Amino acid sequence: MKFAFFPGCTMAYRLPFAEKSIRMVVPHFDVELVDLAFTCCPEPNTVRALSDDTWITLAARNIALAEAEGLNILTACAGCHESLSLAKHELDENPDRKNKVNELLKDLGLEYKGTSTIVHVHQLLFDEIGIESISSKVVRPVPIKVVTHTGCHLLRPERVLHVDNAEVPVKLDMLCESLGMVPLEYMDKTMCCGAGVRKINSVTSYAILREKMTSIAMVEPNAIVVFCPTCFITFESGQRVANRIFGTDFKIPVFYYTELLAIALNLPETDILLAEHRVKIELPTSTETKEENKTETKDSIPSSP
Amino acid sequence: MSDMSEDLQTNRLKELKETALPCFQCGVCSSSCPVFRVSPELNPRVSVDSIISRGKVPSEGNEWLCAYCLMCDQRCPMGVSLAEILMVIKNISAKEGQAPPDVIESAESLMADGCQSPISSRSEKQREDMGLPKLPRADPEDVKMLFRATGAAEVLELNRSTSGEASE
Ligand code: SF4
Ligand code: SF4
Repeated sequence: MKFAFFPGCTMAYRLPFAEKSIRMVVPHFDVELVDLAFTCCPEPNTVRALSDDTWITLAARNIALAEAEGLNILTACAGCHESLSLAKHELDENPDRKNKVNELLKDLGLEYKGTSTIVHVHQLLFDEIGIESISSKVVRPVPIKVVTHTGCHLLRPERVLHVDNAEVPVKLDMLCESLGMVPLEYMDKTMCCGAGVRKINSVTSYAILREKMTSIAMVEPNAIVVFCPTCFITFESGQRVANRIFGTDFKIPVFYYTELLAIALNLPETDILLAEHRVKIELPTSTETKEENKTETKDSIPSSP
Repeated sequence: MSDMSEDLQTNRLKELKETALPCFQCGVCSSSCPVFRVSPELNPRVSVDSIISRGKVPSEGNEWLCAYCLMCDQRCPMGVSLAEILMVIKNISAKEGQAPPDVIESAESLMADGCQSPISSRSEKQREDMGLPKLPRADPEDVKMLFRATGAAEVLELNRSTSGEASE
């Protein structure tokens, strides 16, 4: 499989190690990535809020670039995924809008046709590759307890995105399980991380994060697993800000899913990913094989009377 | 503003009211809204009521507090999407020069750099050190052309001058 890779501004320039982890793992599943001259998706809370027409035209330009190469787009950020998917939905449903956008793209030698699909790494791994194939490649399981946060913009609007069940998301939990992790349920699983209002009202934004973190901390996970660079930054750096504002004491490590996948595949260079983390975690450095691990989990299950 | 764009604005507001009309004030949106949970000045149920009865949000600038998390959109039993309604209201408010400064700043950066936050040489270096490819960039002139042709350049210009007035 070959994709036009859309890391998005936030991942590319603020979370390059997460991008690195994606580029490290996908070749192991026969996926090839191509880089194109994309702009920002663009982000709904800024550009779309200012001008809906500008948003849809820039998104159409991005999609048209991939279409010109005959490629589907692989997104890595929930925000980019939603933005491009909503724009595509609108353009495919509304021929007038599509024609208007194409009038402008013509000057750039581009045309939006609607031929490329938008796929997030989450969907690539769960829907295309599948957890059986992933777990068959795991050589170094990661036996930690985690909570997952799929992210607002991968879940909603459910009528357009279809990534997972918007009220009861389970796929990221299953992906974690396939690497040997134990996913925990928590109260506010589908709640926003607060990033969406950070630019407008930062105290409100961190108060939302405080609520979310409180719900997470209750189940005492070793780490939070996300599929979006913006959620990553909000959880990881935001905890400290929330602690400062509200006197809380959150200190939970955060991972972008493919970092853990790279570790589980025992790929070289994963230490350069972990070196960039601000909340550190001691991952079991064991060389234990999968078989040993399996027996371990079996042993720990209490036999029913 | 020309009469034509004012008409357009009035029409859009009328359309918005219509999409909000099915609301029966159950409050599911409010109880699902993460912003309302911590900042009661954005009350989704009251906002929908106010849009239906007065054609605007309860108090000026409220629309910008919405995180666009789409929880209200997901859960409304009547299919009302306050998130989308507020997005349209943000567009109208931006056209009136009322966009928050940080939103303007991000959009300016996108127009200049093709990216929401300015790309620093430090982050370019960090990519290089990690063995990540240099990403191809869009021609800035193309991006500017699209900003101008679709109205965002004008909205930015307008908000620049109003925020300039405010700071004087
Ligand atoms: S959930 Fe829908 S019907 Fe209920 S108050 Fe909100 S907008 Fe109205
Ligand atoms: S989209 Fe906005 S109004 Fe709706 S629940 Fe989220 S923050 Fe609240």
